[in-house]
Amino acid sequence: MDILLLYYPKKRGNNMNDFVIETKKLIKVYGEQTAVKSVDLHVKPGRIYGLLGRNGAGKTTIMKMILGLTPITSGEIKVFGENLRGNEKRIYPRIGAIIETPGFYPNLTGTENLEIFAKLRGTASPNAVKKALEIVGLPYKDKKLFSKYSLGMKQRLGIANAILHDPELLILDEPTNGLDPIGIAEMRTFIKNLSSEHGKSILISSHILSEISLLADDIGIIDHGVLLEESSMKELEKKNSRYILLHVSDVSKASMILEQKFHLTDYSVQDEQTLRIYDTSLNMAVVNKTLVMQDVAVISSQVCGDTLEDYFKKITGGEVIA
Amino acid sequence: MLNLIQTEFLKLRRKKMIWFMLLAAFIMPFFAFLFFEYFNKNGVDSMGFYKWSVFGFTTFIILPFILGVLCTVLMHDENRYDMLKQLWIVPISKMGYFFSKFVIVLFYSICFMMITAVTSVLFSVLPGFVPFEWQSVLFLLERCLEIAVLTSFGVLPILAIASGQKGYVFPFCMTLLYIFLGFFTSSVNIYLHPLSSISFIIARSGNIPGLASAQGINVPLALLCTLIWDVLSVLFAHFSLNRRK
Repeated sequence: MDILLLYYPKKRGNNMNDFVIETKKLIKVYGEQTAVKSVDLHVKPGRIYGLLGRNGAGKTTIMKMILGLTPITSGEIKVFGENLRGNEKRIYPRIGAIIETPGFYPNLTGTENLEIFAKLRGTASPNAVKKALEIVGLPYKDKKLFSKYSLGMKQRLGIANAILHDPELLILDEPTNGLDPIGIAEMRTFIKNLSSEHGKSILISSHILSEISLLADDIGIIDHGVLLEESSMKELEKKNSRYILLHVSDVSKASMILEQKFHLTDYSVQDEQTLRIYDTSLNMAVVNKTLVMQDVAVISSQVCGDTLEDYFKKITGGEVIA
Repeated sequence: MLNLIQTEFLKLRRKKMIWFMLLAAFIMPFFAFLFFEYFNKNGVDSMGFYKWSVFGFTTFIILPFILGVLCTVLMHDENRYDMLKQLWIVPISKMGYFFSKFVIVLFYSICFMMITAVTSVLFSVLPGFVPFEWQSVLFLLERCLEIAVLTSFGVLPILAIASGQKGYVFPFCMTLLYIFLGFFTSSVNIYLHPLSSISFIIARSGNIPGLASAQGINVPLALLCTLIWDVLSVLFAHFSLNRRK
């Protein structure tokens, strides 16, 4: 991935004060089904925005609408501060994208496929294809036809195509699909570098929570077409309450001691042996000693925090996704 | 537009079928050779030979069929492998995309007819059926070029149909139906169908024996018929490409 530094020489200055992508009351209706319901999305320049949701939540539809691949039913999309409608020819060359599994010409090699797209885009750099392939770890001028590629190689070629013209904004729909664990880790590093080192703005969708939590600076949680939450990962971490999980032999006795001795009211009983104390400033050594002195056995005590998974579960009101 | 056309040529790499279909250009000149060889005819009128080798089934059936199949092949991969979204993201103009395909069809049609013309001359002159005359050869080349250009415009409806289809069966069937309709309307009203119009435009001067029409050929009207079909085809392609994302 060091080649990246050669390929993208400098962090591009962005004179935009607004958002790279901004949607207002975006709605998409397929027949009688509303796939996207009044979504207000805000992707900041130079940051990675992770769009998180279950399969069928509306992530791809939103991306398709931004890329003009499906007409919007109502609402507004602004890209680079400009209204998308009517400015597509100026805006799209500044975007690189992968939507679903990327398709290429099966009778051509990876290099030949990229040469076609380089020509269509009028890519100025003569080495653009070579560099893009090197970045994603595919051989240049290889004789292997695209039809013989594995799913992972196809995905890499799709990413190479997306970055071929050095776009300012990348829209990546589940880009790690089909990659092996090492490939996923490499891709994560690569995407992070694109943003941190080279100032690329990235909108990435995934149904894999861990992937988004490791990658994204900002996160949007979408469920059944509704954008339930949009915040930065830092804010989200703050929001996710920290607590002390206390396993004891007698919950009722322990509760009484906490209330009487420590004047604690901010706690909840989870089950017959578990308490959740939300005041993390409490000196647990003293609490444990006091409980033991009062014949309450302390099985364990630990400081915990809600994970993104817990948070997702909480706000979608359902099962976790991955 | 030039980039689009160049990439269309690049996309044809390793497509053996494209080369294989060119073999059809040899069919009628070869049959004409067999026919004249069988009847042991020497000193045949050159137009008599070319009527068999070029102006007959080649113009009416073989070329439109080959071009129809080509139109289907050109559109098929991108539809089948869901590549259009990749292309629209670039972005490229939808109609530019359509017309770049048409340029390939036109180029292929010209190549096909030039091969037919050269093969006809070789099969007629080398065995000694026809004496070599520049005048007849040039006439043949001129008409072959006309056939190539007009027929490629004539199959534009097939290209438009193929642009809106993911599969190849429907455009293929439509090619057969379209050719059959062209054949049928030539005996009813030549101005109803581009292929029948084209075949009569080719025979306009009456110097191809057996092809001179009993109807007075109105070339502008025949061209207008082709133009109307083509305009409708372009509109259809515009609609279907906009619908297909």
